[in-house]
Amino acid sequence: MTTRLSLNAISKAYGKADNQMVVLHDISFSLNAGEFLAIEGPSGSGKSTLLNICGLIDHATHGDYYLNGAAVSQLNSSERCACRRREIGFIFQRHQLIPAMTVYDNIAYPLQLNNVKAKQIKHDVAQLLTAMGLEHRCNHLPYQLSGGERQRVGIARALIKRPQLVVADEPSASLDHRHAQAGLQLMRELNQTYGASFLIASHDPLVINHCDRKLTLLDGYLVDPA
Amino acid sequence: MNWPLIALRNILRDGTRVISTLLIIAIGLTALLVGSGFMLSTYDSLQEITMRTEGHLIVIDDTPDPLLGGSHQQLSLSNWQTIRESLWDDDRVLRVLPRARFEGVVSKGNRSAVFFGSGVDPKEEFRVHGPFLRTTGVLDPWLTSSQRAEVMLGAQLARTLDATSGDLLTLRTVRSNGESAETIVRLAGLYQNGTPAIDNHTLMVALSTSSALMGSDNVSQLSIYLDKKEESAALQRSLQETIDGVIVQSWQQRATLYHKVKSLYDRIFGVMAIIILTVVFLAITNIISLAIYQRRSEIATLSALGTRPPQIYANFILEALIISIAAAMLGMLLAYAISHAINLAEIMMPAPPGKTEGYPIFIYISWPHYLVTSLVLVVVVILASLLSACRAAKINIARAIS
Repeated sequence: MTTRLSLNAISKAYGKADNQMVVLHDISFSLNAGEFLAIEGPSGSGKSTLLNICGLIDHATHGDYYLNGAAVSQLNSSERCACRRREIGFIFQRHQLIPAMTVYDNIAYPLQLNNVKAKQIKHDVAQLLTAMGLEHRCNHLPYQLSGGERQRVGIARALIKRPQLVVADEPSASLDHRHAQAGLQLMRELNQTYGASFLIASHDPLVINHCDRKLTLLDGYLVDPA
Repeated sequence: MNWPLIALRNILRDGTRVISTLLIIAIGLTALLVGSGFMLSTYDSLQEITMRTEGHLIVIDDTPDPLLGGSHQQLSLSNWQTIRESLWDDDRVLRVLPRARFEGVVSKGNRSAVFFGSGVDPKEEFRVHGPFLRTTGVLDPWLTSSQRAEVMLGAQLARTLDATSGDLLTLRTVRSNGESAETIVRLAGLYQNGTPAIDNHTLMVALSTSSALMGSDNVSQLSIYLDKKEESAALQRSLQETIDGVIVQSWQQRATLYHKVKSLYDRIFGVMAIIILTVVFLAITNIISLAIYQRRSEIATLSALGTRPPQIYANFILEALIISIAAAMLGMLLAYAISHAINLAEIMMPAPPGKTEGYPIFIYISWPHYLVTSLVLVVVVILASLLSACRAAKINIARAIS
């Protein structure tokens, strides 16, 4: 099976040498193409930091990171930006929608960044809006949505470009059970149709049980490495 | 994606910030427009005074004697009548006025004063000066009867001599051959323009009177008045090529006061403009930086999604552009209203250096000038927002999102 993501002895520390705080210690694991991997652990265990490193929005202090076989730890900011744009979808814990964009624009934005044709964007966004039960909200602004609706828009935005890797931080945090199920179902469809891999940090048993495998982080250490 | 609409929504998210930005830009622009409008009207008025006093073009003899202060102070232009006749057929020319400069002592009874005199065409001379040389006293007989030996005096010179209209005055001078000469003239009227050098020391007589006094039909200069001042350069070139033995000067070459005032005002208003633009620049930088700080989470999200830094800058610049265009319109309207009110109020300025009279403030209102100034300010606002927006790309994404 193809390895989508591979971490080798990744460490992350903040501060200078004499006053350094290490939040991740020698993390090594792999994520296969099409795999659903949950990362669980208590608050402050380093889950979000690990996700940020895997999503190329933060740097590891030590160690190597390979995405689709390519070493990405040493990429410059422009290359990391391009890599995020093409290959990674993000589901943020606090939805992080762009307040001035409508629901439609928020979801369509990743496709526009990748220069997808307008007709295709329209088609894909409409399809996803229906799947997420948001078609009636398409011209609303984020402040006009409920917390659950915002999170669903956030999930739709992460999935719209069919990324090879989806990094999700507590994707069900503000969803009720029914919508959490729908979101997970959509992720699973994307996973099965396009072989997208999911790296999910969550406390939610529903999400964790939905995953193929789980890793546990405790005080920055991987307790149960693959 | 409708980026202008998104920018507009972002602008409307923070009303206080937008209003303060709008007002800073609009007030800065108003100050620039009113200040520069005053400066331009001053330039215009000084140009007008110079052109009316000297003519658009001035023809003088080309063999000046440096000991006598240059040929325009000497009676050295002999073929002036031929030149004047040759110019009558030119449609660009409105008037050609001869002027003979001479100097001496003017007396009334036991009172005497040194004068700088001009022999002029009495019918035309005061028409060209317009409002810049005000006359009082009995002017018409002098204008209509140029053969009479009459004189117009600077108002302060008349006061020095205690002379009133109708009084007989004696003009004494020394001709170029060293002979002394004198003539008696009747005071026809007074003139003044608020310049002590003119009001205190000058007088005018008809050209025939000055010729008889000086024993010469020569004049010092021919002043050519044109229909349009823009034509002066072309006519200057053609006259210089076709008339031998003369120098053809433009009004700018005689406009010493205009050049001095322009140089002074350019510096004063230049410094003022730099200060205003710097204040606007710093204020906008500060306001945009605050907006970036408030929206760092949103900027981090855009970056996380793979937005290129220039696109992030572009969003802020678009917002600054919309605000600055709105502010420019407000600033132009404010400047127009204030300028109009000042012009209608006829507020008087104090007498400037070298003058004894103040003058009404006039603010130039010119839409091309308004648009160019607004454009400069919009560019400054965009540069300020670009400088601030560059910082947006340096945001730590992970920290901003968490």
